[in-house]
Amino acid sequence: MIRGYAGRVLDVDLEARTFQFKPLDEDTARLYLGGKGYGARLLYDMTPAGIDPLGPSNPLIFATGPLNGSVAPQSNRFAVVCKSPLTGAIGNAACGGSFALGMKRAGIDVLVVRNQSAAPVRLEIDGDRSEVSFLDASDLWGKGTYATQVLLGRKKHHAVIGPAGEHMVLYAGIVSSERIAGRTGVGAVMGSKRLKAITATGSRTLEMDDEQAFKEYTRWVGAMFRRHPVLGERLKRYGTAGIVSTTNPRNILPTRNFKHGHHPDALNLSGEYMEDHGLTGVKSSCIHCPVTCGRDVEVDGVGRVKGPEYETVALLGTNLEIVNLKQVAEWNYLADDLGMDTISLGTVLGFAMELQERGLLQAGIRFGDATGISELIKDIAHRRGLGADLAEGVKRMSEKYGGHEFAMHVKGLELSAYDPRGSYAQGVEYATTNRGGCHVQGASMYLESVGPLTINPQNLKLKADLPMVLQNLACAINSMVLCIFTTYGMIPGVIHNTSPNSRAHRLLTALFENSGPLLRVAIRQKVTPIFWWEKWLTYITGETTTAGHLQEIGARIFNLERMYNLREGLTADNDTLPPRILYEPTFAHMTSGHPLHQLLPRYYKLRGWDTRGVPTARTLERLRVRI
Amino acid sequence: MSVTVELTYDMSKALGARRVDVDGARTVRDVLRLTRERFGERAAEFEKLTRVTAVAVNGVLINHRRGLRTEVADGDTVMFLKAAAGG
Repeated sequence: MIRGYAGRVLDVDLEARTFQFKPLDEDTARLYLGGKGYGARLLYDMTPAGIDPLGPSNPLIFATGPLNGSVAPQSNRFAVVCKSPLTGAIGNAACGGSFALGMKRAGIDVLVVRNQSAAPVRLEIDGDRSEVSFLDASDLWGKGTYATQVLLGRKKHHAVIGPAGEHMVLYAGIVSSERIAGRTGVGAVMGSKRLKAITATGSRTLEMDDEQAFKEYTRWVGAMFRRHPVLGERLKRYGTAGIVSTTNPRNILPTRNFKHGHHPDALNLSGEYMEDHGLTGVKSSCIHCPVTCGRDVEVDGVGRVKGPEYETVALLGTNLEIVNLKQVAEWNYLADDLGMDTISLGTVLGFAMELQERGLLQAGIRFGDATGISELIKDIAHRRGLGADLAEGVKRMSEKYGGHEFAMHVKGLELSAYDPRGSYAQGVEYATTNRGGCHVQGASMYLESVGPLTINPQNLKLKADLPMVLQNLACAINSMVLCIFTTYGMIPGVIHNTSPNSRAHRLLTALFENSGPLLRVAIRQKVTPIFWWEKWLTYITGETTTAGHLQEIGARIFNLERMYNLREGLTADNDTLPPRILYEPTFAHMTSGHPLHQLLPRYYKLRGWDTRGVPTARTLERLRVRI
Repeated sequence: MSVTVELTYDMSKALGARRVDVDGARTVRDVLRLTRERFGERAAEFEKLTRVTAVAVNGVLINHRRGLRTEVADGDTVMFLKAAAGG
């Protein structure tokens, strides 16, 4: 077995209440690494087209990668893969917390949960004994994610759902510690199986090819991250909510259901404000993470809990025009405990408010007014009254109530909190990412609009290239499985500390903006590992891994996911953005919205797809994507 | 002619205001000068805070227009921001 892997896949049948430990397929591990890549390969092979995402045929796949179980910074993450009940396309989500470590210690790389239990059940996996217990979970059913984990034992590693998952809210997530695999409704699939929780224990350790070199290099990376202006300073001090201070002035902070990109009082939701008001501490965050982006805040009647992140303060804050950090923190806690994605939730609530404003729905909630929202969030989680409609997500709501032109989703997945009208590459990424409108499947916005490089985010230069390169990299990162924040260290600290108005900075930015051909060559190099994830993989697996290898692996995963979606009936028509983004300008100099139609043909060409967005046979063969 | 200036959080704390209106500015350079004057004796602090700060006019960085020579018009909003925020 390749080093870095436990070598086992655990296959559990909830209906028959049987389990089987199978060997990990080494060839698949080499081609797809692990995490969401390995999961996508399994899903494609295990299921025919057209299955019911909430039916027994949809497997729920938990997958770790070769870096999990090591002490590499930001490496304690697992991926969940299944067909998404929200989008009907491939579904996946990644999560920090502690469950990845539990799986690896139990000696499991991948856990496949098949079929459905007749009654609430939880799994206890004892990796050392190679045993799986199917335990009655009736006493836990209905409980929140926090209470459930307390009852199961704080010192163990769990993945659990809350009431939202139990009631199959289409954007329910799976929670580990205080982190959530939030996107695409993986929690609803777990709920459809009546699987409340999974606990994994064991005492296995990770075997590496060159442990000494790994440790020495990891110490250097950890120290570099701690000194880095974003990873070690801004994210550490302000958490991700510090991003408000950049997205708001750049007019890309969703406001009033993405009608605008700027709110005059947005700083009251920023990480800086949080530091001055109500921050009670800094979480240790995920295991082995020196960034510690999590915040602790005080919520009335609950106490000290995990505070809201950027996406949450934006989409439950300015997007609803409710600029009240205390209120948003309360809703964030509520959504986490109920077990649902705050990105989708905030976008759903914003859509409902605009429907109300236009007289298309009597939701009883209004922009700028917090009245009734706490109760509505609970109703959504339990599918009570109007909450049942909101539990279906924006796309289905627009089919029922109208408002397609301001329904903020791509492929059915609600948009994240970066308005692509001020971030063109991010728009291409939203439109083409296989799981739908999400920001962490490439994070182009970091290089074009919220990071240290002040390239022009509103011209066409690199705006098709960047998404492709970064999507490939993110596919590889999410298959190792690492946090996407590890990529932020790519830009040296010295660049962050130069004035954006200086000649040197502008020269550097211009060079980068015009680096397309060079970039395409650089990412193909297979000579030597340069970045940390390449070196970590090399030290752990013993197989030299370079940028070129990872681009190839990432492209393979991305194209396999694309083929899955095409098999499910999606077409190039689904590679689009909401009409509001395409046609409504938010900048004074704009006459329309995002120029997606000018960028997609180039993106398809770079990907090796035909004009209908279908990967050519040559592309699939080159990438060794077996269909 | 009046331009609204939105300050960063740190600037706001130093000045005790989130935004200020400045009159008579024709370019971003004028806006910076007039804002600095609002800081009075704390002008040095303002200089320090602007060292690694980007400037946007109505959401567009001045780097992509004419830099400090970028012209401003009545009703424009000039915003200071930290260029690198994470993601």
